[in-house]
Amino acid sequence: MAAPLVLVVLAAVTVRAALFRSSLAAFIAERVEVASPLNAWKRVVEGLALLDLGVSPYSGAVFHETPLIIYLFHFLIEYAELVFMITDVLTAIALYLAIQDFNKVVFKKQKLLIELDKYAPDVAELIQTPMEMHYIPLKVALFYLLNPYSVMSCVAKSTSAINNSVIAFFILATIKGSAFLSAVFLALATYQSLYPLTLFAPALLYLLQRQFIPVKLKSKSFWLYTMQYASLYLCSLVVIICLSFFLLNSWDFIPSVYGFILSVPDLTPNIGLFWYFFAEMFEHFSLFFVCVFQINVFFYTIPLAIKLKEHPVFFMFVQIAIISVFKSYPTVGDVALYMAFLPVWSHLYRFLRNIFILSCVLIFCSFLFPVLWHLWIYAGSANSNFYYAITLTFNIGQILLISDYFYAFLRREYYLTHGLHLTRQDGTEAMLVLK
Amino acid sequence: VCTSRFWFNYRHVANTLSVYRSVKRLGIPDSHIVLMLADDMACNPRNPKPATVFSHKNMELNVYGDDVEVDYRSYEVTVENFLRVLTGRIPPSTPRSKRLLSDDRSNILIYMTGHGGNGFLKFQDSEEITNVELADAFEQMWQKRRYNELLFIIDTCQGASMYERFYSPNIMALASSQVGEDSLSHQPDLGIGVHLMDRYTFYVLEFLEEIHPASQTNMNDLFQVCPKSLCVSTPGHRTDLFQRDPQNVLITDFFGSVRKVEITAETVALDRDLAAFESKFPEDELATEPLKYAEQLPVAQIIHQKPKQKDWHPPGGFILGLWALIIMVFFKTYGIKHMKHVF
Repeated sequence: MAAPLVLVVLAAVTVRAALFRSSLAAFIAERVEVASPLNAWKRVVEGLALLDLGVSPYSGAVFHETPLIIYLFHFLIEYAELVFMITDVLTAIALYLAIQDFNKVVFKKQKLLIELDKYAPDVAELIQTPMEMHYIPLKVALFYLLNPYSVMSCVAKSTSAINNSVIAFFILATIKGSAFLSAVFLALATYQSLYPLTLFAPALLYLLQRQFIPVKLKSKSFWLYTMQYASLYLCSLVVIICLSFFLLNSWDFIPSVYGFILSVPDLTPNIGLFWYFFAEMFEHFSLFFVCVFQINVFFYTIPLAIKLKEHPVFFMFVQIAIISVFKSYPTVGDVALYMAFLPVWSHLYRFLRNIFILSCVLIFCSFLFPVLWHLWIYAGSANSNFYYAITLTFNIGQILLISDYFYAFLRREYYLTHGLHLTRQDGTEAMLVLK
Repeated sequence: VCTSRFWFNYRHVANTLSVYRSVKRLGIPDSHIVLMLADDMACNPRNPKPATVFSHKNMELNVYGDDVEVDYRSYEVTVENFLRVLTGRIPPSTPRSKRLLSDDRSNILIYMTGHGGNGFLKFQDSEEITNVELADAFEQMWQKRRYNELLFIIDTCQGASMYERFYSPNIMALASSQVGEDSLSHQPDLGIGVHLMDRYTFYVLEFLEEIHPASQTNMNDLFQVCPKSLCVSTPGHRTDLFQRDPQNVLITDFFGSVRKVEITAETVALDRDLAAFESKFPEDELATEPLKYAEQLPVAQIIHQKPKQKDWHPPGGFILGLWALIIMVFFKTYGIKHMKHVF
């Protein structure tokens, strides 16, 4: 499997290098869908320039990345393009290895359940075989590297690529079972953009499953392991934050990074849901609605944890997708990350109900974003409502995609245990509905 | 202050500009005048004579010209800005021309025109100022010592209601009509198609044409301007808050800027010691050597030497800490046994 992966990597690197050298690079770097105030490359350069002038990079609300990024790019700024290409490649390799391991786990679990006779007799066609699972890791790497979203985000040199790579390593570490590394990478990811905090729950569930600790609220070993993992995570987070203090000898990065993410002061349009609402809102309501919108990101963790506790990796996928839809400054780089996982659930294809229309919606919206932006900003014949309509449609498409996969997954699980041909009490064919 | 906008309120702008002209003619400079107009008359697409605002029919007198300095124009004429100008509570970035830089020796003339009612004056069709607010603004001015004496003239319908609530000392007020009466406009110009002036202001202006900087006309004459026969409405005035007798108050105290200048041909010795100093000076001048600039900038050094770029470097402690952590994480995951391979 190494050779096809190398080929894919080479192809991706070529595409990115070609785009870097073309005139499209400058155009893409300015697009608001790709570069948000949090992760625009322009702002990183500005922050470093401010630092060279002797001023704190966080003054003036220009730079909203963490001090570790300052440290990273201080030495690597001339090789920025290489850095971003290597980051994408590393993400793809991490995802490849993670999914390879995950497939082994899935297969083992499936074998166990078959031997324990937990499956209904007529579900042979639903069971995943190694043949079809063989190419999934390659497809995942392919999906990530050649996804136009991630190509654009790499060409724009948006630091969401670095965030994606940290999350990919976190997933790799979790699936390999190393609690310590997974806590460290999760702390790094949270440190950079706060929302991966919600990935604590799926990681914990996966590690518990791996250690064969049942998830019961009364079980002592459950709480012990949870405390261990939580303390590893919190300690690494604290250590990283304190270390960042020593870079610039000031705590300004905390309001500039986390205060900025949470309080959403900058309302430049992006593909997210926050900007339009807050542009139109009265001052005295804005605090309330900021809280409501931010809680919306974190809110789905607990219900999903209850429902998906047997399937933590799917939970992780859904959680990453929810973060990228509901976060305060989403960009297409975040969308690229969860889309990379779609080949892993390709066995759910027969249960997806709306996949055609959703893929059409997503593709059309991606094309309409620059069109309506041009109409609004340059031609002046549209206004922000048009662009927000496309934003809304895109996000609705994403949400429906997630819920479609969720439905398909749960439906397959139900069929596995209850048989493919469900009948109601009177013998007619029944239909599963997600309530 | 002209508080109206739109083409059919031409006469209010003409009123204000005419008073502005008279006041300038009598000596008050633009730096001492705060003119607030909607300023949408001269360049209005409906104006058959662009760049002009006439105050007499048959286009006799153009009160808009090259030297009209409008301080607050168009949407800046709001109640808030007006009150801020009066009380001086203005953001620090406001230019001097938009401020009322008065002190406790200044006499202030405030002329307001527009549409009004019983107790209020309408500002630009969207807000109002009430007589209570105005009275409070004047009280703030008095407490901040922003005026010595204040003359308030208002030409609107039911104008007298605007001065009913004043309670600060040294204010004299004139209005074009009493409560319950409307102030009427004077004459339409068929060429322009709107009324050009209001009656009260027209007759006040005719009165002011007679005034020159040295005239001794007093306030009582101003109170007689525009009797009911000419004005249809009854002008009113209020002098109870004023400390001096209106008979003794000159028109030019408010409308003009009259200085008492006395020309003399003799020199005045201010200080005897200073005179002695002055005589010593010419001798000093001869004794000193020719002046030259001190060597302030080592220009030659600067040109020929490239400035050393002071780069920022991450502190050593940070780098040490970061790499120590990374190495610790590496060894924790992969075991200490690799250490011997590294070293």
